[in-house]
Amino acid sequence: MAARREFRILGMTPGEIWRGFIATTTGKIAVAFFAIMVAFSIYSLVALPPNFGQLWNTPSYWQANPKYAPPVWINAFTGNEYAPQLTITNYNFTSGSSGGVRYAVISFSVDNVYKTPWKDLFLLVNTPSVYNGTWVVYLTVTRPDGKTVQLGPDQISSRFNAFGLSSQIISQVDAFFQNNFGVANAVPQGSSAIPYLFYTVKDGKFVPLNGPYKFTVTIYAFGTSANISRKDIGVVLEGDAYGLMGTDFLGHDLWLGLLAGFPIDLAVGLLTAAIVVVLAILIGVVSAFYGGFADEVLTRVTDFFILFPAFPLLIIFSVMFQWSIWDAIVFLAAVSWGGSARVIRAMVMQIKNSQFIESALAAGAGKGWILRNHILPMVMPYTLYLFVVNVPGGILTLSAINFFNLAGAELPTWGNILAYANEFGALTSGYWWWVVPPGLLITFVAVTFIFVAMGLEPVVNPRLRHA
Amino acid sequence: MFVLLFIVSYALAGPASKLLETQINLEARALVSQLLKSGHVSSQQAQQVYNSIVQQLYNAYGLNKPVYIRVFYIIYNMLTFNWGYSEYPSEYGVSSGRVSDIIASALPGTILLDTFGILLSAFIGIQIGLRSALKYGSRTDRAVMYYGAISNGLPQWWVGVILLLVFSFYLSTIKSPIYFPAGGILSPQYYAEWFTSPVSVLTNPKALADLLWHFVLPLATVLIVNIGGWAYFARTVTLNTAQEDFVTFAKIKGLPDGRITSRYILRPAAPAILTSILLTLPFIIFGGFLITEAVFRWWGLGYVYNIAIFAPTPDMPVIVALTYASTLLYIGIVLVLEVLYVVLDPRIRSE
Repeated sequence: MAARREFRILGMTPGEIWRGFIATTTGKIAVAFFAIMVAFSIYSLVALPPNFGQLWNTPSYWQANPKYAPPVWINAFTGNEYAPQLTITNYNFTSGSSGGVRYAVISFSVDNVYKTPWKDLFLLVNTPSVYNGTWVVYLTVTRPDGKTVQLGPDQISSRFNAFGLSSQIISQVDAFFQNNFGVANAVPQGSSAIPYLFYTVKDGKFVPLNGPYKFTVTIYAFGTSANISRKDIGVVLEGDAYGLMGTDFLGHDLWLGLLAGFPIDLAVGLLTAAIVVVLAILIGVVSAFYGGFADEVLTRVTDFFILFPAFPLLIIFSVMFQWSIWDAIVFLAAVSWGGSARVIRAMVMQIKNSQFIESALAAGAGKGWILRNHILPMVMPYTLYLFVVNVPGGILTLSAINFFNLAGAELPTWGNILAYANEFGALTSGYWWWVVPPGLLITFVAVTFIFVAMGLEPVVNPRLRHA
Repeated sequence: MFVLLFIVSYALAGPASKLLETQINLEARALVSQLLKSGHVSSQQAQQVYNSIVQQLYNAYGLNKPVYIRVFYIIYNMLTFNWGYSEYPSEYGVSSGRVSDIIASALPGTILLDTFGILLSAFIGIQIGLRSALKYGSRTDRAVMYYGAISNGLPQWWVGVILLLVFSFYLSTIKSPIYFPAGGILSPQYYAEWFTSPVSVLTNPKALADLLWHFVLPLATVLIVNIGGWAYFARTVTLNTAQEDFVTFAKIKGLPDGRITSRYILRPAAPAILTSILLTLPFIIFGGFLITEAVFRWWGLGYVYNIAIFAPTPDMPVIVALTYASTLLYIGIVLVLEVLYVVLDPRIRSE
């Protein structure tokens, strides 16, 4: 009986490939990065409850899991369809003009807001880009113990003023975003109103109040050139920065959001690459191995998909058909296998014309036997490389699509977190901790896979191996 | 190309016509209710008027024909460069609202940022890549390699956002004398001029300075992200060529290093590099630059595409025209490549 044949690809055992990979500096870095990435994904899957990814910004989820709720989760921002909505009661909007000054009066209440303590409270007023007036905000808070606190305009300072921006710069910054946000700090820092609002004193200590709060907000907005509409003014009440990386304007813990993004973004990249590689092997091998008419047709199809403008069409289709992120992945993978298929085809062609195939044919081997025993094992390691190379493309494209608030805008992918940042004008308020980490994480994951590919290429690419 | 055109127009024609139908019905209903209010017509007459108005409008918009027929109309108009009018002309700021005018107004911006930016970064990147490949294994070579790998993983639009945050927001916050605008291709007062005759803007020194001031951040973004990719690419291609047998043979022959580099390495590597540059250009205009232009609100084709897609409903004439124009550009470039290949690659010439 013959000895068990050793599994070899390209004349190398998997162990040799691994040792060759580890021998390069890039390989070592890649392994370290990869370990970090996998550790964070596993931690995210273990530490966050199931469905966190799908439900992380819905109030009902926070009600059921108060541990993961943002410190304040009112969002009465009426102009933003992407934001999670709480029920607003008693909404009133009137506008008019008097003495050449346009004004709008908005009042509404939000009931049953849970989860304390809050350290701070912000009011976010969305103004039209041409708006150059002022607004006055009254806020009444009914505490769980029944006490009512009213905050008037004298307690409200504009965030822009806090940053010391001149009006000229405001208008410039405003011009950047179609919707921009004037941020009014309802309770100035250091104000004694904060403990009075959200804490109560027991035994000489501040004790957070836990229970339903009720907010009533009245906004008077005055402008000279503005057409203030209901859509333009809304309010977000927001907690102070908490958690490892602070919060966004909606009060989400950014650290939890970034953590939840790990498995999703990884899955996006891996899935895209997997579909691409399977399609590329199928088309490439069939095209090169069977040749003739099939080759002619498949080469034309490949050329078509190489020319295919995937990105704009992906945007169009996500807008038209309200695609989820998984639909987008399937589409992206289904149209971007062209280049990989061409590479596989070239490799199979090269192998097919080599002498050992001829001798195998002369020895009476069938086509299927040659395909199984000679060609596929030689192509396989390179498909591993192709797989790794295709992962960052998927992650980058899908995060770009998400940046437009498309394809699964409700998931906490890093692209979506950046989209929120853009939506709420994080740049105009200097919220860098909301903008920098998601982008760094996208880059980190993409670069990890690029490093893996760089370390793998000299090992699996026969042309580079001789060098 | 035609298949693509068909897919795009077919996918968009259905929903767009539904919207149009609703619009027509609403308008007709409003008209009829006005008539009824006046009290001169009976409700039966009003219904007749309503039906006739709707029918006429349907015929005028071609809604009485099935979708695939209308798609062929669209394709015929595309082929004859009859691109029609935008459905939301006010979104673009181009007064005529003609699609060809909108595209023409966006072309200079695209040429300036995308084409010029890519060519410049390709030029710089290839120089860096060649130099590092010739010094294979050195410290600078490794640095170039890692820079290339990282820049391949950087989302270009995010780099743009970061540059805006730093050089637009923070610099203006600390009242620095030098800071950069937060977006746009020009200051508002020059926009009308830019749309009608960009050349006159370029000759006006004040407007030119303004344009350059707006150009700094987008160009910096493009260069930061793309130089690395090009350097990495050029380095790989050069290294692959440097390992060919004929290069080894030339070294054995004892030819001078400069001659080996220019004749035996660079010349064979040229077709691959050239192909990549030319094939990247049309993709770039509608690929990564679509978001970068949106981030900087840079008036180019990518931004127009962005506006067209995110108009209240997708602005079909503009989208279809842009897709068509880009595909046309692509085919033109492939043709040019075929010719250049023969000139540059002797292996093809001999076949």
